[in-house]
Amino acid sequence: MEFQDTRPVAHPENRDEPVVSPQAVPAADSVQSSPLPGLGLLGALSVALAACGGGGGGSGGGSTGGGTTPTPVNYNYAPADAARFLLQAQFAFKDSDLAALNAKGYDGWLTAQFDTPANQTGVAWMNAQGHNIPTSDGNYFGSSPGDFMIWHALMTDTDQLRKRCALAVSEMMVASLNPFGGWWPSYVIAGYWDTLNAHVFGNFRTLLEQITLTPAVGAFLNTAGNLKEDPATGREPDENYAREVMQLFTIGLYELNIDGTPKTDLLGNKKETYTQSDISNLARVFTGYDWDWSKVTWTNVSWLDYDVPSTEFATSPMAFNADNHSMLEVKFLGVTIPANTPGPDALKIALDTLFNHPNVGPFFGRQMIQRLVTSNPSPAYVSRVAAKFNDNGSGVRGDLKAVWRAILLDDEARTLPTNNTAGKLREPMIRLAQFARTFDVYSTNGKWEIYDLSGSGWGIGQSPLRSPSVFNFFRPGYVPPQTAIAANGDVAPEFQLHNETTVAGFINFFTSVMQDGYGDVKPDYTAMMPNISNSQALLDWMNLHLSANQVSPATIALIKAAIDVHPIDASSTDFNKRDRICNCILLLMSCPEYLIQK
Amino acid sequence: MYNNRIPDLNRRAFMKRAAAIAGLGAAAPIALNLASVGEAAAMDATDYKAIVCCFFYGGNDYANTVIPYDLPNYDLYSAIRGGASGRQRGGVALGHSELDGTVLTTLTPQTLTNDIRYALAPELTGVASLFNTGHAAIQLNVGPLVVPLTLAQYQSNSKAYPQPPKLFSHNDQSSIWQSLGSEGATVGWGGRMGDLAMASNGQSLMTCISASGNAVFVSGNDTLQYQISTDGAVPIWPAKGWVFGSSETSTLLKQLITEPRSHVMENAFNVVTKRSMDMEAIVNAALDPVTLTTHFDQTNDFAKQFEIVARLIAARNALGTKRQVFFVSIGGFDNHDGLMTNHPKLMATFNSAITSFYNATVELGVANKVTTFTASDFGRTLAYNGDGSDHGWGSHHFVIGGAVKGGQFYGTAPHISLETDDQVGQGRLLPSTAVDQMAATLGRWFGLSGSEITSVLPNIGNFATANLGFMG
Repeated sequence: MEFQDTRPVAHPENRDEPVVSPQAVPAADSVQSSPLPGLGLLGALSVALAACGGGGGGSGGGSTGGGTTPTPVNYNYAPADAARFLLQAQFAFKDSDLAALNAKGYDGWLTAQFDTPANQTGVAWMNAQGHNIPTSDGNYFGSSPGDFMIWHALMTDTDQLRKRCALAVSEMMVASLNPFGGWWPSYVIAGYWDTLNAHVFGNFRTLLEQITLTPAVGAFLNTAGNLKEDPATGREPDENYAREVMQLFTIGLYELNIDGTPKTDLLGNKKETYTQSDISNLARVFTGYDWDWSKVTWTNVSWLDYDVPSTEFATSPMAFNADNHSMLEVKFLGVTIPANTPGPDALKIALDTLFNHPNVGPFFGRQMIQRLVTSNPSPAYVSRVAAKFNDNGSGVRGDLKAVWRAILLDDEARTLPTNNTAGKLREPMIRLAQFARTFDVYSTNGKWEIYDLSGSGWGIGQSPLRSPSVFNFFRPGYVPPQTAIAANGDVAPEFQLHNETTVAGFINFFTSVMQDGYGDVKPDYTAMMPNISNSQALLDWMNLHLSANQVSPATIALIKAAIDVHPIDASSTDFNKRDRICNCILLLMSCPEYLIQK
Repeated sequence: MYNNRIPDLNRRAFMKRAAAIAGLGAAAPIALNLASVGEAAAMDATDYKAIVCCFFYGGNDYANTVIPYDLPNYDLYSAIRGGASGRQRGGVALGHSELDGTVLTTLTPQTLTNDIRYALAPELTGVASLFNTGHAAIQLNVGPLVVPLTLAQYQSNSKAYPQPPKLFSHNDQSSIWQSLGSEGATVGWGGRMGDLAMASNGQSLMTCISASGNAVFVSGNDTLQYQISTDGAVPIWPAKGWVFGSSETSTLLKQLITEPRSHVMENAFNVVTKRSMDMEAIVNAALDPVTLTTHFDQTNDFAKQFEIVARLIAARNALGTKRQVFFVSIGGFDNHDGLMTNHPKLMATFNSAITSFYNATVELGVANKVTTFTASDFGRTLAYNGDGSDHGWGSHHFVIGGAVKGGQFYGTAPHISLETDDQVGQGRLLPSTAVDQMAATLGRWFGLSGSEITSVLPNIGNFATANLGFMG
């Protein structure tokens, strides 16, 4: 099947997306025809949503064309609804984000985000920091600049939707900085992160191929240096990537219905998607690749008796060497790649086969819903997202913009659940990024030296791009034992990181960060000062920005009572003012109503 | 039929045992009445026993852990793994002379397949010494099975010969080793043994303990995994009376993070936090007086996991524990590449940690009360892929402790071959012993009765024996 990256397309009818209320549609004579009719343009019209996130009863009607003289728009979302949306789509939000959202509407805001150019790449940021200059302490073997890079991106980059989606994909198509050895590990992981960001609003097929060819995945899953079979010695192609690209990156273990539930036979048995033979065959496709040293320059440095390469290999797709590629026939998933098919052609057939497998939509869609919205999406929700993966409305499969849109605009995402089971545990790294953005962290020296925070006793038990294995920090099917979650048959992936040690480690570490920052990275509470003596206003602001008002009035009242024991006014010391702010943050961001994002 | 859901037998067994104990009356010396109490007997004995699961995440390369040393079998190994001429190292084969320091000698003569003799990875000097002095045994070719399988039965793919689900997959096979169920299982066999042992312990939460992350092995139907850091329990300092100039915040923090919630996820989160706070003071108070002179490598997290386990065992009287199941783990075994660089480091780490741990149990006088066994996702291929090996199935594993009938091999040695009927291709071993049997053998030593073993390991009846003999 053909695929293509799509431009922002006209928004097809979709009953799950905001619809234009009839009375708001401009009179016909004021409407000009437009080559790109759709809600993206309608965002500039004076329209109102039928209901916040509701609109489920509509049958479209979005194709009403562009207007000539738009009048000022305000969707007037309830603040909690707007905040809730922004905290699913981003790490945190500013009041300017709320204004933009109210001006454009959910859909128009997404279009604007999709059209926003990406921020500086991770590699460019590290270069600007000078991390590419060899130093006698051996930075070319160090991984810490990779940590600085990703924390800086999560805490400051303005293209938040892109970063949030890229981080979500990094938890499914995992490459981890942890085991990287050899030259420039920080650049190898930055190349992977930049590749995610470059394609996360493109097409899944392109993303899959580009990620497959990253030096990071090559190193992490052993396609770098993977050699064809050698009958003389009994050597076989490495099977690691062949297995994990199927099990984890694309189709998963069992055949799925479009709603993400497993297909079963009459006896209730699940049907496996592939066998060991499929893996051993597919492994041949991934032979012949290795890091590409062709663009590298080697520099003599005084403290070494060998030269140091420049970093281009880390950001170049892996190079293909036909001499090392298996020319055997490949039979997998019902497809035959004939013997002697050139390597690049074989790769295309293999990735097309995976991309076109009916599992990809529900398998990818469900996990992305879990990362952004809720741990236990209904099958119908998964089905709607998978349908958009399969066809964006214009006949294109794998259009990721359509997928993100479907995830975030679905009724189930936009409607605040009222049951006592929905939602997800906020990931520790996202909590920290949210704190940083909400409270204006800055670097005293511009270096952003935040290291690996995976430590459980002191740290947050998680660090971006440092999954302990290709299975991510947690599994999409993780069930916390002996809980009502388990009894309900639900899953709670992020709970795999939650235990007696990590909960203590996080609170202790976070308390320290609130007060002192982390190294050169410091919070700036200036914006809190206008409300400093008004504890209710202070807490209301924080509750909206941290939890979309999901911390109940009863809990806010308890916190206010505790805070008010220590009155603060304009003449109070800076120290006491800061204590008040930190007490509010600690209580809000530790309480379970915040931790479970609904 | 493959069954990964356990009937409620263990709960019933627990009730029955509790009733039996109650019937003895307070004055009855329990230890003297073991036989008469039936199922209650062993698990409620007054002595102490602990099982430690030492998990190698990623799939350990069995072929470079327990290595053929006799020349005919070594030469087969070297040929398959790309060894160099003159029995030098090459490909992913170790050189023959590298093995001279870790040759295994059984305490009594044993004849294995094709008269194979084994050495251990060169780094496993301490483990080899434990084997040769009778404190460690090796279970050959053990792995997940539902029923015993011949190669023909395996290849038949017949429902008459059920196979474990998702063979060769990391997450599923590590789950099966720990729980006999694929990923998503919530109850492990260590946890089920804990269910039966829990009543023996003063602190039920001290029954099943992970010094690593969350692991299904130590989750029971009734027993909860308690997770401990290598430095002991971590206090939540801001909830201990004062934070940011405020005792009120500290008090409220403790309330908010521990109170019951109606939202199930909020509640599940708080339950763990409350457990963390409740146990922290108890555990650290018990650990504080403990001094171990045995040295554990402080640069090695895996050794530190073993150290905290040793310290908890040392604190067993203060904590009132009689039966414990521990879990420690180390990752990095998925060596598709760099096997000859990475595997020796892992073996050295394991050797250091397990040697210190065994020595600590000797120091504490509990060497014959603590049994450690190794486990891993799967074994790997005997064939190599350039500089590593791929996912396999059966593997060789260690059982270590003073109660082990050591200096001996158990099970059937596989041929050093890519062709024989004891492997399913590329030297992926078809297990000749089931994980269930290994678990049952440990469980019997731990004190489980025959029916309790069946309750914990419902497929055990599919296999010839529930006692492999390595615990005497």
